[in-house]
Amino acid sequence: MLCEKCKKNEATTHIKTNINGVVETHHLCGHCAAEQGYSNNMFAFGIGDLLGSFLGGSAPVSQSVRCPVCGASFDEIAASGKVGCDKCYEVFLDRLVPSLERMHGRSKHVGKRPQTANAQPTVAERINCLRGQLNDAVAAQEFERAAQLRDQIKELEEQDND
Amino acid sequence: MTDNKWYLSTGNEADTVISTRIRLARNIAGIPFPSRMSAQQLSEVNRLVKNAIFSDPSAKDEYTYVEMDSLNSVTVAAMVERHLISPEFARMTDGHALILSKDESVSIMICEEDHIRIQVMCAGLDLKGAYERADKIDQLLGSHINFAFNERLGYLTECPTNLGTGLRASLMLHLPALEACNAIDRLSATVDKIGLTIRGTYGEGSKALASMYQLSNQVTLGISEQTAIDNLAAIAMQTMSQERAARESLDRDTLDDAVYRSLGLLKYARSMSGSEFMELISKVRLGIATGLIKEYSLATVMQLIIECGAGAVQEAARREMEPMERDRKRAEIIRTRLAS
Repeated sequence: MLCEKCKKNEATTHIKTNINGVVETHHLCGHCAAEQGYSNNMFAFGIGDLLGSFLGGSAPVSQSVRCPVCGASFDEIAASGKVGCDKCYEVFLDRLVPSLERMHGRSKHVGKRPQTANAQPTVAERINCLRGQLNDAVAAQEFERAAQLRDQIKELEEQDND
Repeated sequence: MTDNKWYLSTGNEADTVISTRIRLARNIAGIPFPSRMSAQQLSEVNRLVKNAIFSDPSAKDEYTYVEMDSLNSVTVAAMVERHLISPEFARMTDGHALILSKDESVSIMICEEDHIRIQVMCAGLDLKGAYERADKIDQLLGSHINFAFNERLGYLTECPTNLGTGLRASLMLHLPALEACNAIDRLSATVDKIGLTIRGTYGEGSKALASMYQLSNQVTLGISEQTAIDNLAAIAMQTMSQERAARESLDRDTLDDAVYRSLGLLKYARSMSGSEFMELISKVRLGIATGLIKEYSLATVMQLIIECGAGAVQEAARREMEPMERDRKRAEIIRTRLAS
């Protein structure tokens, strides 16, 4: 696969971003990735660049994805075990989920919700409601309706998994 | 000074359950978590939480807003011993604050590991009652503050181990007989498999001081508050009945001697270290719970545990003390308490 930016070199860096729930995948060559600020290797930068960033000069952006609200990078979160802010959970969700599953055995909240978030039923609640209707439809042998409900549930589940 | 404090009451199942504690972790949307926040954001969070709690005019009769900078080190140490603040929070002075109820059963730490840590304590076993109180405070805060919450991950917390409900429910259990039968390790391995944990309340390492253990839930994501509390209560009930059975099986004469020997030392000693005190008071507590000692109550035991911490002893003396002097003061406090 060729780098999507320069379209010359082989893409060696594959980046998945999740910003406000919008997941995007980018395939870049090492050079373009570094230019975009995606590189795990600090030594790809000259010492001047490092000093520049210390001094707040015009050095290129930092070497990895950072949370736009608090500035935390995933490496910093992993090293300290502390997440920087609520936004980090959106930005780094994909990378956090495996450890959350190891920690809790699950990665989907059930339980209390704050009042302000209560206005709309959650996807899970909608799925639950549809499942109830599906069971009723099957029991009543209304198979056409059951098929429709099944499709709706599937659609919601896919949406939920994004 | 300690009148009407929660720990002076005797709760349910007091023979084996010392106290119940519920903690809820909450954060405010859009403000970095404490380890990444500025001093300005800290004072903003203080203001938001204070305004939310005191929005109810009657709250000023029940709660006080305490600035950590206004407290001396002895008072802070005593607050850690009473579990009103964490040892970590005790080190955070600059601009930190908490909200405390008059009876000390409710403590709201602002900007400890999370923006808001609601804690409710009560004597004996009352998970439901303690949770309901914590939930009410959570509702009040939530009606003024926009919490950091995510449909998938629930309440967002600085440490991912608290994600989801942000709930930590704990019971402080007194398990001298199970400990004597070497059953704690087995219990620990079992509860671990079902998302709970048990560890010594006091002391470090594997040996718990005074046979007091904290049983609490570990998993907070993918489990509702109700289920987490029900699981904890179910395991606690089993542990309690095993402890009672183990107490029955203890040799009466040996127990009798150990209990009264401990009471004798507490009543007459002129110098008492903190760890010796804890070992002795544990035996006296067992003596009261099994009906051997009738002249003292479990509430007196709890009161002594609170009064005999290194911080509390110095707080009573209103000054910092060297360990030797502190031990003499502690012995004096115990003698006075047991003489009355």
